Amino acid sequence: MRSIQKGDTLQTIEDAVAPDVDLIEWYYARGFSDGFPVVPPTVAKIAAVVEILGGEPEFVEGRIPPRFGGLTREVLAINVVMAGCLPEYAPVVRAAILALCEVPFNLNGVQATTHMASPLTIVNGPIAKAIGMNAGCNTFGSGNRANATIGRAIRLIMLNVGGGWPGDLDKSTLGHPGKYTYCIAENEAASPFAPYHVDKGYDPADSTVFVIASEPPHSVSNHISNDPQGILDSICSAMSTIAHNNALTGGHCAVIICPEHASTIAGKGWKRSDIRNYLWMNAGNTFGALAHQHRYGKVYNRQLPVWYKREIDSRIPIVPSPDNIHLFVAGGEAGRFSAFIPGWGPMSTPVLRSLDGVPRANGSACLDDSCSL
Amino acid sequence: MDKSFESVPVFDPRGVIAAPPLPPAPRVHSIAGLRLAVLSNSKWNANKLLRGAAQRLHDDYGIATFSYYQKEAFSRVAPDDLIREIAANNDIALTAIGD
Repeated sequence: MRSIQKGDTLQTIEDAVAPDVDLIEWYYARGFSDGFPVVPPTVAKIAAVVEILGGEPEFVEGRIPPRFGGLTREVLAINVVMAGCLPEYAPVVRAAILALCEVPFNLNGVQATTHMASPLTIVNGPIAKAIGMNAGCNTFGSGNRANATIGRAIRLIMLNVGGGWPGDLDKSTLGHPGKYTYCIAENEAASPFAPYHVDKGYDPADSTVFVIASEPPHSVSNHISNDPQGILDSICSAMSTIAHNNALTGGHCAVIICPEHASTIAGKGWKRSDIRNYLWMNAGNTFGALAHQHRYGKVYNRQLPVWYKREIDSRIPIVPSPDNIHLFVAGGEAGRFSAFIPGWGPMSTPVLRSLDGVPRANGSACLDDSCSL
Repeated sequence: MDKSFESVPVFDPRGVIAAPPLPPAPRVHSIAGLRLAVLSNSKWNANKLLRGAAQRLHDDYGIATFSYYQKEAFSRVAPDDLIREIAANNDIALTAIGD
């Protein structure tokens, strides 16, 4: 049998082994796993995925940094099958990978950084329900095949094709559990607001993926407030630390509003833009806090925008604009727990992409950002 | 029974690297008298590390000049224009991560 070494540049091969070979161990032995057993691909399973992607198995969808392996539809299908996906999940995986490969996302940096960031994928539109994604109870947790295996397929492609192996091209000091899988859908059915992608100009009938390089979710508990201000002050509290990269460098972040909190907020007539603006206005740190009061020498911090004042008492927002706070409604119908998800920083810009690659429609379904369908 | 009939296909999930490998530039045998480019990744401690290293190369090894360049963001690749400028105006380059 042809010998395969991790990191070499052999052509994608189809080889064969004796029928008594343990295929799970075969893939483990070659390093083609995220640590969990993979589903051994078969010709039939690969063909089914390639077909749903449009055929042409040699068609190159992209090159995945930092290794820049060629992601043909066949290679994509191999990884999709290995992750345990059903064929109908494949267009979501492809859209997410193409979003990651857009230049502003800087996947090269996301893969290689010492930070713990990993791409979070959030799905909007009819595809989420069609393939049975879980946007409700325990949406970030285990138990749903589509959420789990779509996120896992994205990670396997980042590992196998992109070469982001821990300690090799992935230099993350800690990593985080989302490096196994990190994919949810917005709970459009439970949301009083328009879906995220509609807020951004897509039609409700469009299906999209949103990707952001981010930390894990940080729970925000608030069981007392019956108004937007109280709920959002709790989220502001979670945002206002000097520990995460947004505080130190700006960039983008995500906020997940649970349905109960969303209902309370919307019940007072607040819109998506009101939430974003309130969070932006009321979360932040003083520059002195970020600079450790200059205890270790005079700090300028060139990562933050040049237009920030850098006096000790100057307020430094968590991100440079309310538009850099990406709001989603997700989670179960019971419970008043929302979440703040810090991003990586200005080194990576989130990307929203439709499954079919068609740009958003001209104009938004949400007039002047009022976004309540 | 035909052995090939019994075999089970296995697949390489990595994809092909199409770009030819880029050979490194020829090594210099001496740095005395050369123009040194210093490329900072713009991280907090890169400035201290690289300026200190460049000064030592000047004082102890006879570097003729050193020019300081900086990336806009530490985790993005240096723009092509910057790389061209460095290559056009220097003999050797030094870069490092100052985390």
